[in-house]
Amino acid sequence: MSLPLKYSARSLLVRRATVLMTIGSIGFVVLVYLGVLSLAGGLTAAFSTSGDPAQVVVLRDGALSETSSFFSLDRGREVMTIPGVQRDSEGTLLAAGEVMILNNLARQDGTMSNVTFRGVAPESFRLRPQIRVVDGRTFQPGTAELIVGRRLAERFPGLALGSELTLGRLDFRVVGVFDSDGSSFDSEVWGAAGDLGAAFRRDGSYSSVLLRAGSPAEAEALVQRIAGDQRLKLRALTEQEYYARQTTATTRQFVYLARALAVIMAIGACFAAANTMYAAVSARTREIAALRVLGFKRRSILGAFLLEAALLGLLAGLLGGLLSLPLNSISTGTTNFVTFSEITFSLRTTPRALLGGVLLAVLTGVVGGLPPAWSAARKKIPEAMRA
Amino acid sequence: MRKLVWRNLLRNKRRTLFTVVSLAVGVFLLCVLGALLQTFNPTETETSEKRIIVRHAVSLQFELPEAYWRRLETIDHVDAVSPITWFGGIYKDPRPENFFSQFATDPVTLLEVFQGAEIDEAASTAWLAERRSFIAGRRLAEKHGWQIGDEIFLQGEIYPVDMNLVLRGVFTYPADEAQENQVFFHRAYMEEALDNPGMVGTYWLRIDELENVSAVISAAEAMFENSDARVKAETEQAFAASFTEMLGNIEFLFGAIGLAVIVSVFFITANTMAMAVRERYSEISVLKTLGFGRRRVLGVVTAESTGIGLVGGAIGVLVAGVLIRTAAEGLSTMFPLFGAMTLRPSVALAGLSAALGLGFLSGFLPGYAMARRSVAEGLRKIA
Repeated sequence: MSLPLKYSARSLLVRRATVLMTIGSIGFVVLVYLGVLSLAGGLTAAFSTSGDPAQVVVLRDGALSETSSFFSLDRGREVMTIPGVQRDSEGTLLAAGEVMILNNLARQDGTMSNVTFRGVAPESFRLRPQIRVVDGRTFQPGTAELIVGRRLAERFPGLALGSELTLGRLDFRVVGVFDSDGSSFDSEVWGAAGDLGAAFRRDGSYSSVLLRAGSPAEAEALVQRIAGDQRLKLRALTEQEYYARQTTATTRQFVYLARALAVIMAIGACFAAANTMYAAVSARTREIAALRVLGFKRRSILGAFLLEAALLGLLAGLLGGLLSLPLNSISTGTTNFVTFSEITFSLRTTPRALLGGVLLAVLTGVVGGLPPAWSAARKKIPEAMRA
Repeated sequence: MRKLVWRNLLRNKRRTLFTVVSLAVGVFLLCVLGALLQTFNPTETETSEKRIIVRHAVSLQFELPEAYWRRLETIDHVDAVSPITWFGGIYKDPRPENFFSQFATDPVTLLEVFQGAEIDEAASTAWLAERRSFIAGRRLAEKHGWQIGDEIFLQGEIYPVDMNLVLRGVFTYPADEAQENQVFFHRAYMEEALDNPGMVGTYWLRIDELENVSAVISAAEAMFENSDARVKAETEQAFAASFTEMLGNIEFLFGAIGLAVIVSVFFITANTMAMAVRERYSEISVLKTLGFGRRRVLGVVTAESTGIGLVGGAIGVLVAGVLIRTAAEGLSTMFPLFGAMTLRPSVALAGLSAALGLGFLSGFLPGYAMARRSVAEGLRKIA
């Protein structure tokens, strides 16, 4: 017969102060783990809403990102007319040639970072329906106007609505702020391709061409067709894959950091759990003997103490998870290592990370609780009675 | 008195040991975080402070005309100018362990500007003579097992051309080993492959005296103020720091993690000491009856916890010192930046003081509460 769950739970309550401190120490381990993972979670969320599997990004052959890609307008126009590119009801090709320019600007705290300026075509908005102007209005091509992603406008004082800035040879004005549902476009500044191209003397080339295919399968076929065309010397990949690659390159560092920290801190916390559980066992030596006399098996004693340790871990995991929730309101930024430009995002603790954090805490409790539970189960009844 | 502290520490050996270990783990982590953080702030050497890097004012995505080379040379206090272009090609595959800095440069002026690097006479002559040759830093050459005469292939990513290079020399950089993770090859070879666009990524300037640095920076920026490609000039230090800046607030992130580690460890040590003090309630009452003052009782308890802090801290720092040295090599394959990671005395000292502070506090708090409680009540517990 095993001891009831209530026994383990009530036992925790008896040594409230000690148990609380142990929960605190393990809880902070979980908090660190979740905190660092929320950076990765936020970045992943920003990129995953950016790419559409039915759209194709075309870059210069060999280039890994739009930053290092440029090719002539002629080659760009040629790739737009490849069979498989969708047209709307009026016969307009759903294709957009764009120019990407990095410009070094100051953040709020005075540090500098590269900001992405995307020179776009009218079709660019149709290919990215998540973009909505939420403040001000959209830009007029030919008048050196810009619209800025919401997060970027908050982070870079020089990009606030109404501000003026000199880019290359032209003076631009920010006339609108847009929101793109937390996607990576929130970290971009948009203007007409002609205006930005002229300002930076990049009007003779495209950085990328974005194409709309009928379906994800047709997009794959389009990718193959472009890759197979030796003349074009262009590289194509689905928009979804393009952003997924940027995600792994940038989030990997945070995932590694979170895991390394969690493992090391958990080892330290295991000893705290062990201390607490040893104290619990030694305080209850007589009680354990009494239980044995009543007929409870060694296995049941071991189980009850392990359960107690697991409960301790569970509570710590929940505490850590709870403490990590306010992180979700923080927005921050770092550099996207593929494009070398600023990417802003909100921290996000994913359900999966939360589950991982709780499991980590339970595991810490159980590992720390195992030796004391073992020693409790092995106590000899007559000696324990006399204690 | 000292004996009392010692005996108390040994009374529950397992508990003391566990607490020391968890404290050591915490201090170890703090030291590693501190060492990591310092890799983001590059080593200051006199030569790197005397080097100025000139780049396009908009961003590194834009290049500067070749004609700027001669004009920069005319600035007062500039001893030498070398064109240095980041090639950023792919060696073998795009995995981070195969990433390293590759620069196209003018071999003659590079050796004048890249002061601090040492290369033997024969190798340098061979490098200067051959268009397709390259030189590599010692650390990088060792990592990839390159021998003189070996060929490497760099697939262009930023530039639509590939470089097929042959190793003609290995340089060392005694003042800052992190500089040994780079490769330099002939700019002329790349220009030819690109059909001579006449562009340069950055210019490195060597200055005669440290005090002239800011004058040269202003002069260089003013020189191109009204041209199409305005420039930004800064010391090599500031240039390197700008990359760290781009990463965002690393210091805040690491600081927050460090703080959470400290809080977590504090819970552990405070818990231990609270346990130790609580079970000694009656004993402390006896001590007080025998004439020990509150202060001495408190002294015994805090000495005990500070001792735990000292030992735990020392172990943590020692292990960190040993592990960081070995781990740096391993980590550098994944994150090249961390190859130069070392535990500096300032970080070690900070870790040790954190441990001592935690030890002291975790004994003082429960000890203070206990010392104030009534003797009569404590004695009653004996029965």
